[in-house]
Amino acid sequence: MTAGMQAPEGPFQFLQAGMFTIDSPVWNEPAFWGAVILAGAVVTYVWRLLGVLLAARIDPDGIVLRWVRAVATALVAALVARMVLFPSGLLAEAPLAARIGGLLAGMLFWRFAGRRLALSIAVAAGVFLLLEYLFA
Amino acid sequence: MPRYDWRGLVRGMRMAFTIPGLVMAMSFLGFGALVRAMIFPLKGAVAMDVFMWALPGQVVYVDTLARGLTLLLALLAVTLTAVRLMPMVVLVLAQARLPGARRWPEYLAAHFIAATLWVMSEMYMDAVPRPQRVPWVIGLGLALMGGMVLSTVAGYYLTAQMPVPLAAMLVFFTPAFFILALFDGARSGADWAAIALGALIGPPVHLLWPEVDLLLAGVIGGTLAMLISRKAARTGRRRP
Repeated sequence: MTAGMQAPEGPFQFLQAGMFTIDSPVWNEPAFWGAVILAGAVVTYVWRLLGVLLAARIDPDGIVLRWVRAVATALVAALVARMVLFPSGLLAEAPLAARIGGLLAGMLFWRFAGRRLALSIAVAAGVFLLLEYLFA
Repeated sequence: MPRYDWRGLVRGMRMAFTIPGLVMAMSFLGFGALVRAMIFPLKGAVAMDVFMWALPGQVVYVDTLARGLTLLLALLAVTLTAVRLMPMVVLVLAQARLPGARRWPEYLAAHFIAATLWVMSEMYMDAVPRPQRVPWVIGLGLALMGGMVLSTVAGYYLTAQMPVPLAAMLVFFTPAFFILALFDGARSGADWAAIALGALIGPPVHLLWPEVDLLLAGVIGGTLAMLISRKAARTGRRRP
């Protein structure tokens, strides 16, 4: 989502209005900073608001909610796959073998050592660190 | 008129001091480190913790702004990452809200709901009496938020001195926690199918449409998981 995102050309060129980029002087104004944070908060909360309105209208035992649950579950699983296979930032500094190996170790430990969540996360992190040094 | 039991607030605050809270703190250390690497002001990052409270959106916002792209474009990217919050809010509130009670606590609780809090409510909310649940979410959210502000500040100052493999491990806690918490919370064939399909569909969709990859993988994977598990249940029932 972040890497290589470019300002669009054509009809969306107005989005490039130079005064809103971070190197512009308006960024030194506290009021502008406030507006930036507020704007980020609004575009985030609007989806939560929609969630509140929907939650009151959906049957808690119905098929719609089970579908929503399946979507949220698949979405988080996809997020994990993205973080491991296409990492950004610090995680990108670690070799692929460590990212995949750590995750597999944690999943196998969870499955075969009594489904202990905290311990399995610790195993995943430990194997990750070990493989980082082995494959560095 | 049913009323919320605000003893749940303190109960929720205490839940922040658990393994999931610790794991979340690790990833906010990573956010603090990112903010520093991007030469982004710490005050702005802390304000984002409090007012946005959704780590992927915050990372996208910082990253897009620091790249010198425009505010409008950055907001577009942020709101795309925030769509995923909607199903999570629906799921948590469907289990927590008291029909007929005053609504404002729901609007407040919704602000705190993101991936970790959804996963935590799957793990712990069954044990909380219904009238305490919305206050429980608010208390948990408040305590987590306080902890994450501290983590962001700590990450800003500490990770620069840390060896890279160790700092990377801090970030790795988050995917490890998410996938294992999904395993732990899986109760039906549909859940397992959704986990597998989301993880399988996610990577190719990311390569094709990186801007909307999670949403597409979620909707396609979740819908397929429902269809498959319903079909399996129906054929299963037909057999004597």
